[in-house]
Amino acid sequence: MVKTVQLFVTCILDTIYPETGEAVVRVLQRAGMTVSFPPDQTCCGQPAFNAGLRPQARKMAIQTIRAFEPYPGPVVVPSGSCAAMIRHSYAELFFDDPDWKTRALALAARTYEFSEFLVDVLGITDLQAHWEGKITYHSSCHLLRDLGVDRQPRALLAQVRGAEFVELPQTTDCCGFGGVFSVEHPEISSEMLKRKIINIEQSDASVVVSCDAGCVTNINGGLHRLKKSPQAMHIADILDKV
Amino acid sequence: MADIFHARIKASIADANLQSALDANAIKRIKVRQVAFESLENPQALRTRAHQVRSDVIEELDRYIDEFASHAIANGIRVHRAMDANEAIKIVLEIASQHDAKLIAKSKTMVSEEIGLNHALENHGLQVIETDLGEYIVQLRGEPPSHIITPAVHLRRQDVGKLFEEKLGLPYTEDISVMTNAARRTLRQVFLEADIGVSGVNFGVADTGTLCIVTNEGNGRMVTTLPRTHIALMGVERIVPSMNDLSLMLSLLPRSATGQKLTVYTTLTNSPRRLDDPDGSQERHVILVDNGRKAVLGTELREILYCIRCGACLNACPVFREIGGYAYVSKEGEGSSYSGPMGSVISPALFGHSEYGHLARASSLCGACKEACPVDIDLPKLLLRIRAGFGVDQARNKPKSNAPRLLKMGLGFFTMAASTPTLFAIAQKLAGIFGSIYTLFSKGDPWIRLPAFSGWGYSKDFPRPASKSFRSRHIHQINKGDSQEGIASLGNATSDSLSNPETLSPTRVDILKMFSEEVEAIGAKYYSCSPDHVLETILDLLREHGNQEILAWDDHYLPDGLLEGLRNAGIQIVYPRSDTILTSSRIKAGLTGASAAVAETGSILLLEGPGQPLTASLLPEMHIALVWKKDVYKSLSQVLEMEAVKIAPAAVLITGPSRTADIEMTLTIGVHGPGELHIICME
Repeated sequence: MVKTVQLFVTCILDTIYPETGEAVVRVLQRAGMTVSFPPDQTCCGQPAFNAGLRPQARKMAIQTIRAFEPYPGPVVVPSGSCAAMIRHSYAELFFDDPDWKTRALALAARTYEFSEFLVDVLGITDLQAHWEGKITYHSSCHLLRDLGVDRQPRALLAQVRGAEFVELPQTTDCCGFGGVFSVEHPEISSEMLKRKIINIEQSDASVVVSCDAGCVTNINGGLHRLKKSPQAMHIADILDKV
Repeated sequence: MADIFHARIKASIADANLQSALDANAIKRIKVRQVAFESLENPQALRTRAHQVRSDVIEELDRYIDEFASHAIANGIRVHRAMDANEAIKIVLEIASQHDAKLIAKSKTMVSEEIGLNHALENHGLQVIETDLGEYIVQLRGEPPSHIITPAVHLRRQDVGKLFEEKLGLPYTEDISVMTNAARRTLRQVFLEADIGVSGVNFGVADTGTLCIVTNEGNGRMVTTLPRTHIALMGVERIVPSMNDLSLMLSLLPRSATGQKLTVYTTLTNSPRRLDDPDGSQERHVILVDNGRKAVLGTELREILYCIRCGACLNACPVFREIGGYAYVSKEGEGSSYSGPMGSVISPALFGHSEYGHLARASSLCGACKEACPVDIDLPKLLLRIRAGFGVDQARNKPKSNAPRLLKMGLGFFTMAASTPTLFAIAQKLAGIFGSIYTLFSKGDPWIRLPAFSGWGYSKDFPRPASKSFRSRHIHQINKGDSQEGIASLGNATSDSLSNPETLSPTRVDILKMFSEEVEAIGAKYYSCSPDHVLETILDLLREHGNQEILAWDDHYLPDGLLEGLRNAGIQIVYPRSDTILTSSRIKAGLTGASAAVAETGSILLLEGPGQPLTASLLPEMHIALVWKKDVYKSLSQVLEMEAVKIAPAAVLITGPSRTADIEMTLTIGVHGPGELHIICME
């Protein structure tokens, strides 16, 4: 049975949302895990990879691979797109470098997104969480389409006591983040986000849950600018509440 | 850097008319595609197979091109090869001058858009008329198509009403069927008078040399049947190995493009008209256009050559939905024929990264395109490769990213920090100090309002960095990297074992029931009767419309005594031939005998040959087709693999009445072909 997990907290949680990182740790501990934090981790390299800067992305990927290699066991990532980066894009990044590709694939094989790990590996859906209010769920693109993870977060949310779950219209539509895309093409990104916000308001939920801090930042950034009241939250922050 | 592109994006977003047209397109097309795929037993398996088929062809493209060409030549089709746009245009011009051609009728071909054919022909004094309703509309407006499947997707009915008033003298109307009728009348004359018909090719079948063209309106059939000479333009990569592979592609292409199980007309052209055939083009040419495709073969972008041009990725793409087809322009503002996700790969791959590479950056990489692609092309992967500089130019240089300079610089610093954990921690500390100071000034509001030019600040606020990062808070609290404990094998996630429910082979009764239901579902009429009652049924139909004349096939192909019975009832029977086409074109009913039928799509198969003029099923407003119950097959592949399909000069699968949805996606029946289809199934 799995006892220890290696947490890859991701640069965005590390730097901007450390409280969410703590929530991830507490939830994993509640699920019976010992959480280990390999200290040399930084960023998986996704921003540079998406920008088309492969040499830079390789540097960060190598840093990540090296950071986790000494620490065996499953690597848990509280972000769909960072997990997808390691699981799928590392092979692409090192397609012409067999040595690093082998090492990348070894890391990929033991990397799990947070909700996927809880449900598929540990077989846990009920974390005794308690949250009062109407919640909905935004399917993050890479989580849904690259990792095929959708029923897992839904199963976890279905067990949250006190919460009334409502479906988000067009939940699989991209929120317009897309990393560097949102900076390079703010006009398009903004239109996509508007659409997402309209759907969130239509759902009448007070909280929209996502498994990706990128989407959370994008959606909340838009909501805050428009002074609107609903809020996006990382799934760990919901599961953490008892 | 791509300033014109940004200007186009802004203009598209500000255009309320365009926005509502694009919204309607996305909502409708995504839905009908989903519904159409639900009727497939295992769509994922089909996609995987289709990917493999396309991959096999592309890996050995030269061999497949040769195989296709040699069979086509053996069938009497003249095969030309064009390396680039100029060569292709030159070949068309030569053929036109050989025949002293003046008028060219065209059905939709994206390759012709790609090589700028219309413009070149017009410069040489030829009149070129687009006959697909959507293409006709944009041609009248002097515009290129804005979508590879639905060229006029950017227009509303009011735009078309005004256009037809101005150009065709049609009193202003917002009634789409009135507009469609006006186009039918004008274009019918073009079909009849055209010296040359130009079409595209959806698939070339390597082992038979067959050209497959799918259309809904019937214009594709017109231009490949009525003019004396037919020229087909085909991208060299549009090959499938066999009829079996063709039926696989046909199960995916129309579903993806328009949500149909099969397009109304699927024509299979093997050869020019033979001596004793009553109609069909006498001379057929196919021009195999490379125009940069083979150069892509050796690159990391070769997977884009799998594309079968269904347009599903455009419809699924949230970016296309915001900016529309015309916004996909080169650095100089030159439009590309291909837009959306596939276009953002094809345009740079074929026409150069320096000109079109920036298009690949206009994607959030959400993957909706890959999910929609019927041949499972990994479009996000290809977009990322273009961003990284992989492609044709790469052969000469090392791949070079096309990231904007500022972004490159910013990510350069980030990379430096993120490659050294201590530096990363220091950067986080600095960010944290900034965050703390900011909070002091913002009265606790954790959001930073960045200026619009930063990109992010355009429409959203940015969260301030935490004053203490996760690692600095927890480095001592949670177990520092626990490397001692080995991990026993992970509990395997329950793998969904997909067991296929045993499918019982359907009985004849089931197949006929399925056929009749599909026929009715696509707007055709189904009748079941004994041969003795066929005459009565046909007479009723003719009388209902006051028709005294009918275009009919030879006695030989119809039940005994049927034509005689019609004559005795006062109906004039006309046998259509190429040389009497003007007279035939005025007759309002046609009678044919189908060689086979496909139950799962409600289609009938007609074969050209002596006694079997295909125009009888194309020119009239009403088409009555007879089919024997024994000839109804369950699946498309069973029918496509019949020997007769490979031998006939031309064959057509007809799936419902002629239709279009080119104006506001509103279904309109009876564009160029018959608006009524009656299928009489005989015991």
